Amino acid sequence: MPENFFLSWLIIETAPMNFRFLISLATTILLVWALNRSWNIKGTPVPPLGKFLAPSHGFWQNIEPNGYRLPEMLNLPGLKQPVTVLFDSLMIPHLFAQSDDDLYYAQGYITAFHRLWQMEFQTHAAAGRLSEILGSGKDDAVLNYDRQQRRLGMVYAAENALRGMERDPVAKLVVTRYAEGINAWINALSYKELPVEYKLLDYRPEEWTTIKSALLLRSMAQTLNMGDKDMQMTNALKLFGKEMIELLYPDMEPVGDAIVEKPGKWNFDPVPLNDTIIALPDELVKITGLSPPDPNIGSNNWAVSGSKTQSGYPILCNDPHLTISLPSIWYAIQLHAPGITCMGVSLPGAPGIIIGFNDSIAWGVTNAQRDLVDWYRVTFQNNRKEKYQLDGAWKDTRKVIEKISVRGRDAFYDTVVYTHWGPVPYDEHFRAENNRKHFAFRWVAHDESEELLTFYKLNRAKNHADYMAALDHFSSPAQNFVFASVTGDIAMRVQGKFPARKKNEGKFVLDGSKSSQAPQAYIPFAHNVMDKNPERGFVSSANQYPADATYPYYINAVSYEAYRNRRINNLLREAGSVTVADMMNLQLDTYSIKAEEVLPVLLGFVDSSILTTEELNTLNVLKSWDYYYKKDAEAPAYFENWWRNLFASIWDEMRNDSLSLSYPTAWNTIHLIKTKPDFAFFDDQSTTEKETLTHLVRQAFKKGVADVEAWKKEKGTALRWADYKDTYIEHLTRMEPFSYHVEHGGHGDAVNASSRRHGPSWRMIVSVEPGGPNAYATYPGGQSGNPGSAHYNSMLSRWADGNYFKLLFLKQPAQPAAGVLFSTTLKPE
Amino acid sequence: MKFIVQVVVIALLGWLLTLFLPWWGIALAGFAGGYVVKSNANFTAGFIGIALLWALHALLIDLNAAAPLAEKVASLLMVKSKALLVVVTSLIGGLVGGFSSLTGSLLMAKRKRR
Repeated sequence: MPENFFLSWLIIETAPMNFRFLISLATTILLVWALNRSWNIKGTPVPPLGKFLAPSHGFWQNIEPNGYRLPEMLNLPGLKQPVTVLFDSLMIPHLFAQSDDDLYYAQGYITAFHRLWQMEFQTHAAAGRLSEILGSGKDDAVLNYDRQQRRLGMVYAAENALRGMERDPVAKLVVTRYAEGINAWINALSYKELPVEYKLLDYRPEEWTTIKSALLLRSMAQTLNMGDKDMQMTNALKLFGKEMIELLYPDMEPVGDAIVEKPGKWNFDPVPLNDTIIALPDELVKITGLSPPDPNIGSNNWAVSGSKTQSGYPILCNDPHLTISLPSIWYAIQLHAPGITCMGVSLPGAPGIIIGFNDSIAWGVTNAQRDLVDWYRVTFQNNRKEKYQLDGAWKDTRKVIEKISVRGRDAFYDTVVYTHWGPVPYDEHFRAENNRKHFAFRWVAHDESEELLTFYKLNRAKNHADYMAALDHFSSPAQNFVFASVTGDIAMRVQGKFPARKKNEGKFVLDGSKSSQAPQAYIPFAHNVMDKNPERGFVSSANQYPADATYPYYINAVSYEAYRNRRINNLLREAGSVTVADMMNLQLDTYSIKAEEVLPVLLGFVDSSILTTEELNTLNVLKSWDYYYKKDAEAPAYFENWWRNLFASIWDEMRNDSLSLSYPTAWNTIHLIKTKPDFAFFDDQSTTEKETLTHLVRQAFKKGVADVEAWKKEKGTALRWADYKDTYIEHLTRMEPFSYHVEHGGHGDAVNASSRRHGPSWRMIVSVEPGGPNAYATYPGGQSGNPGSAHYNSMLSRWADGNYFKLLFLKQPAQPAAGVLFSTTLKPE
Repeated sequence: MKFIVQVVVIALLGWLLTLFLPWWGIALAGFAGGYVVKSNANFTAGFIGIALLWALHALLIDLNAAAPLAEKVASLLMVKSKALLVVVTSLIGGLVGGFSSLTGSLLMAKRKRR
């Protein structure tokens, strides 16, 4: 380009006057045009350089000056009465409104002020609209992601969710006013004020609509509640047989306490189920690359009764483990209006507070694993797919044409066929491996529901009865709700819409030609797993099996957690006179019961007489390890590599190029190692000779040591767990300069479940006291979504160092309050 | 002297116009400065006027920055340092300033004998 302009300049200098003027004018216009639009140079996107670099309008304007604040007064259309917003030193807004109308409007407005780009990007991702912003991506990766979202019925799910929301006048008001607040922020934005991501990717925010809040909630459900292995189990059934799969994938592993243990005290008669036989399939489903849910997505929560705390009042703790990204997944906020004084974290894009406390109660959530996905085999009349077989007749399908706009290309049209079971995601046009068989996707979160009401009511709850009433509105994503109140109650409730299943129902693909294969009923909410003030003086959940064996409904899921939950319960059982500091230590605990249980066994297989010096050193490091995944420890990296290599070589049978199979859990693998050393799977299938477990363990050890040594050589540094694990907090666009590497201990199987990309996305500890809640919290990021703000990552280092902030809980909007940075009054226009 | 006046006029106009116009307000500033104050180096005057304006503005913003966004953007655009990003910024502004000023100077101009 520069040569061209030099050329024009030369022409201008030598041409006659009028001609020179015209050429110069044309060059200027061309230059401005070229600098005012984005380019894609050989696959590398280039932002509009003039627009983007102009200090008056471009990214320079996103650099916040020190002490940046909103104006003292903002006039907003649609507001009814003034709302006072106090920002504390963590940049957490405290909203004081005079009605619900204004409260949720202000929540939308203020959240958009900090997080607009993220809110919109996440809902675009949920709706399968990323190609609009990013183009089709390398090898159409982005387009295929969008197609998958559409084909899984995410928009359909959100539309149903919204219908449920709008059926209730309160929920409708909340979600509508929230949207209006967001739009008030969007409508006042000029290019100059756009978040920097819009400038980089060169697009503009669109109007916020209520469906986007529904999309966000359903996207959370997708993260948490779409876990499924029906196809993998169907394949395993065919390949290994029924007996073997019960050994490989037991529904319930006899380990630790269930979330609720009250044997024989489930005081209700379960819904009777008819005895229609659910036929087990006998087939292979050749769809590859179905990804199992990430085992590092889980959470911890617990509440300790006043009988076990130093203060005599309950302490409630929660740390949800999610993919840790920037801008942070959570946005902390306090909401105050007649009837509500609540603080905690919200999901940018959804009104209300999801995890938090008020002056009477506190609550938190962990994910409730359960099989909520079913695949129904569907037979179409012909390849036009207009009719499918059901109960001996042909039933009409519904076709939805999905238009996917693709940046820099023509729009892509995809036809998704819906049956009454749900959409058929995979066919000859998408993941065509198995195009002669079709499966309809049934997901509980496709149904209408009214979760917003749960949060509306929880935010205002005064006691256990209010909490119970709030949860009666909650269907999806199923969660374990922990609760504590000033009056001394603690409680746990596994809440969601769960199918009432017969044994093995829904574990494999189902026959979609019979309507009798649908779940006959859903478990009545009153029959869900729950407990209040158990004798042991605490309630806890860490994604483990929900109930003791006497619970009268069949339960299964992809897998249940086996280690964190035991560590938490062991420590809580022993604890007395518990303080907030004790609870911080527990949340930050890096001890792994898995390592404790398997390492001594593995060490027993090693023959030290045939080891190299490096291997002998490793052996000694491992022998003296205390099983804590501390930042500076050496042993965890060796153990992890040893275990990873062993796991892969034991289950080499599960790596299959033409169909998906599920890996057994770590706990079950260890169980088999200990109890069945001659198990058939301990033979490496890639070799002809028969391997023994001893051989596999020794081989994995050698390989593990070699892997770590290679890492050390490559990095040229001493081995430290924090460096080896390399916790990476990535910006949603994956732009590296907006992301951070942090040093942090922990492991997915430890209470501090920090892995490379996942971990405690919010750590909260609340001492629920009559004088007002004492709350401590931190999260890996900051309140502002702007990489040009001091609050983009202002909590990150404290999170990494295992420190907490004491949260400021304000009862009145009076100023000056200690810890308040500035205030803004939102005024009706 | 005329040259310096032209530089200053273009820079000032560039600043004023972009208060309410999009970034390309600088092109109008260059054009006006080129047309009204003709010097014997119109391109250079426009170039320097806008390049100076942009460099100063960027530096001023960065002087009081609460976070190192300029460093991050430099790294994103594969420009080696923040200082270099300021240079690139001012060059791009300068190009637009230079060509627009030249264009302005050529509007209804009589050819001058050299």
